[in-house]
Amino acid sequence: MSSRDKILATVQNNQPGPRDLPHHIPSGPTASVDLDSAFISVLESIGGSAFIVSGYARIATILHEQFSDAHRIVSGCPQLPTFEAGRPGEDPHALENVDLAILPAHFGVAENGACWITEAQMIERALPFISQHLALVIRRKDIVADMHEAYARIASLESAAETPYGFATFIAGPSKTADIEQSLVLGAHGPASLTVFLIDEQLSDAGFF
Amino acid sequence: MSSTNHKDHAALAATFNKDEPRVEWHDQTLWWVRQKRDKAAAKVPDWEILRDTASRIKDNVLSNLSGYLRQFEEEATRNGITVHWAADAQEHNEILYSILSRHKVDKMVKSKSMLTEECHLNEFLHQKGIEVIDTDLGERVVQLAGEPPSHIVLPCIHKKKEEIGEIFHEHLGTPAGNSDPQFLTHAARLHLREKFLTRRVALTGVNFAIAETGEFVVCTNEGNADMGAHLADVHIACMGIEKLIPQRHHLGVFLRLLTRSATGQPITTYSSHFRKPRPGQEMHIVLVDNGRSTHLGRKDFRNSLKCIRCAACFNTCPVYRRSGGHSYHTAVAGPIGSILSPNLDMKKYADLPFASTLCGSCSNVCPVKIDIHEQLYKWRQVIVQENGAPIGKTAAMKAMNWVLSHPGVYHTAGKTGRWFMLNAPFTVNNGLNAWYRQRDMPEPPKQSFGEWYKKNKQ
Amino acid sequence: MRVGLFIPCYVDQFYPQVGIATLELLEKFGCEVVYPPNQTCCGQPMANSGFEHLTGGCNDLFIKNFADFDYIVAPSGSCVLHIKDHLHHPGISDKIYEFVEFLTDVLHVETLDASFPYKVGLHQSCHGQRGLKLAQMSELMAPPFSKPQQLLNLVKGIEFIELDRKDECCGFGGTFCVAEEAVSVKMGKDRVADHLHHGAQVITGADMSCLMHLEGILRRQKSNVVVKHIAEILNSQITYEQHES
Repeated sequence: MSSRDKILATVQNNQPGPRDLPHHIPSGPTASVDLDSAFISVLESIGGSAFIVSGYARIATILHEQFSDAHRIVSGCPQLPTFEAGRPGEDPHALENVDLAILPAHFGVAENGACWITEAQMIERALPFISQHLALVIRRKDIVADMHEAYARIASLESAAETPYGFATFIAGPSKTADIEQSLVLGAHGPASLTVFLIDEQLSDAGFF
Repeated sequence: MSSTNHKDHAALAATFNKDEPRVEWHDQTLWWVRQKRDKAAAKVPDWEILRDTASRIKDNVLSNLSGYLRQFEEEATRNGITVHWAADAQEHNEILYSILSRHKVDKMVKSKSMLTEECHLNEFLHQKGIEVIDTDLGERVVQLAGEPPSHIVLPCIHKKKEEIGEIFHEHLGTPAGNSDPQFLTHAARLHLREKFLTRRVALTGVNFAIAETGEFVVCTNEGNADMGAHLADVHIACMGIEKLIPQRHHLGVFLRLLTRSATGQPITTYSSHFRKPRPGQEMHIVLVDNGRSTHLGRKDFRNSLKCIRCAACFNTCPVYRRSGGHSYHTAVAGPIGSILSPNLDMKKYADLPFASTLCGSCSNVCPVKIDIHEQLYKWRQVIVQENGAPIGKTAAMKAMNWVLSHPGVYHTAGKTGRWFMLNAPFTVNNGLNAWYRQRDMPEPPKQSFGEWYKKNKQ
Repeated sequence: MRVGLFIPCYVDQFYPQVGIATLELLEKFGCEVVYPPNQTCCGQPMANSGFEHLTGGCNDLFIKNFADFDYIVAPSGSCVLHIKDHLHHPGISDKIYEFVEFLTDVLHVETLDASFPYKVGLHQSCHGQRGLKLAQMSELMAPPFSKPQQLLNLVKGIEFIELDRKDECCGFGGTFCVAEEAVSVKMGKDRVADHLHHGAQVITGADMSCLMHLEGILRRQKSNVVVKHIAEILNSQITYEQHES
């Protein structure tokens, strides 16, 4: 008998009688009036930063200014032509010298400041992790209240997608560790900073910075 | 309690307590984590309902684990992942070795996996000439120090930054005397980046595996699991068979609970969903039993398999905080380790269920509502009955029961307090020395309550 | 109402005043209180050591002593919890009450003629608090309540101190206190330090075993802070003048 069959047989024999899944999954206050400010305040509390912007032009201005010393900035947003466009299929090891990656994400989650990004948006799976800094771009209206809504949104994204994602991740703030005496240090192995841009085309740029 | 030769929890904890300021530092550091957990949980409406929901989802998982395992295997295989089954630690280690051998690889990186600690994978591979670099910062620290992790979420929480500075000076060449966490973390970043970029095989643990989709989720703050997996030609993920959940949307429940319970963060920095290998990459998943299927058959203890390894029970445990993780001499320490370990080896870990005051705080913080302190009590009964207690102890207990069930003997055993001073039930067979050493005994009163009652009320 | 008074063994032998205060209070509230003389111990020390299977004699004796009362009351959360959880005998587990909860839940005590002009720290014993739910637990996200506090609030002149850790275990833990001496003592010292740091003159609680452990540490430290079972405080008539002299 293979280990597989042995394990399955023992499990089957030892597992308790049927227990139903809970029908109702509790959810946070869905009618939260101000999802974007909740999102921003949580994101800032976990070491990230956010800008509400009117469009890509504004993002380009901000990032060129903030990363004027950068040697290599890679973008996954075609709307940002002043940055090097990421090349799918590039050896991920060659991304080691990327100072900043700018990538689109699907949506943000107000309760924890996370953004959901799938493989197709990453250029290479390694990029959002190997880059020294990371910027993510979402639409201001694409913020859900909590993780229950997040997975409902993922389900609808998946059913609309041509192929299901092979890899996807929630990113909440910069890479961090507190392993040394619980002292929080940003930039453990991944990006030392995370900036999330919330695009709101209804806005004029005036009054925002 | 233990009948084996190693030092038991009480002895190891006594050694840890020789340095009282360090005990206080350890206690306060972890209490601070517990307080962060409280604040984070308080911000979630219906936190208690969420815990209950998680617990019920896990009840369902345990009741249909064989079905979910089959479903997961099918879906993962369809996704292009190679699924392996390991009956025990030995088979798990050999599966790993065979994959490494096939790729002619003698160096690999590994992100945090308590399962591989449980299986002693590093030692096994080391003997085969394979170098394993632990990439979680805390795990790297203890690996360089030649120690096991003392905490499943905060592996080097027992180390002071000066000691870490010392270790890094010795192994990574950082300047002597520099113990700044920012500086040391940056040194580790540079050191480990080189490893990520040059290793062809990466091992990760698994936080959750989803039967419905055949994907698995790995949560880290550092990004080390992702750095390893996305740069390697071969990604191997190892998981205990109990890590399954039925559907993807159930992650909504578990990811809300996991990190708030663990560190008080609203979520880990990265919650990565691995579903298919990237083009050209091999992805393996090893499903490990190692006693879990047996444990599933223990009615009183099976729900400890609900554990999602958040370590909230460690941080709240007043005994853990004052005895340190190494005193548990097992891969998973703390209250949850004390109820999981006896299943692996009832003799070796016979002491652990006794390393508790049964205060119950662990059960209250558990995000999946495992009745930890009740299981500690039940393990005590099982261990005494199955292992057999030392003869002297059983005799003392029998004598105690005889005295306590014969009130005549009890009440005439001597003048008030005398029998009690020598035989207080809470000191059974451990003698009173252990009480006296650091505590005074109460002064025996002139008369017992019983004597007072007889004189005044009858 | 006929109440069988269960006085835990160590209270009988070391702290008769706690038994007396308990009895007097119950009588003040109109209970007919009987102390069956042949009682000994609930058996918990053996059970917690893994010898529940040897406690049969103890259990039989307990049933013989107490099965016939309307209620069984004991000034110890820990012993009551043990009986409730492990002595599943009709007429025992369903009518045994810890002293505090008997006053709040059965007798519905709302006024007390008591005064105790001291600064008091309340130690929440785990088996009473987390086991019998005498007070809300700090781990749970649920509305606060505290039955011991509710009663102590009825005492004149009493002042309360706040603790940094309001419901951490003191480390007594039955046989734990000697089997794991080092950790037990450290836990006790830390609890004591929390009370002393906030200026407690008296440490009280509903479980004398925890208080005995804390008292052992206080006395070894030559502290003049004392422990008092909650029944002693609720039964006190100490005026401010007496306190001053």
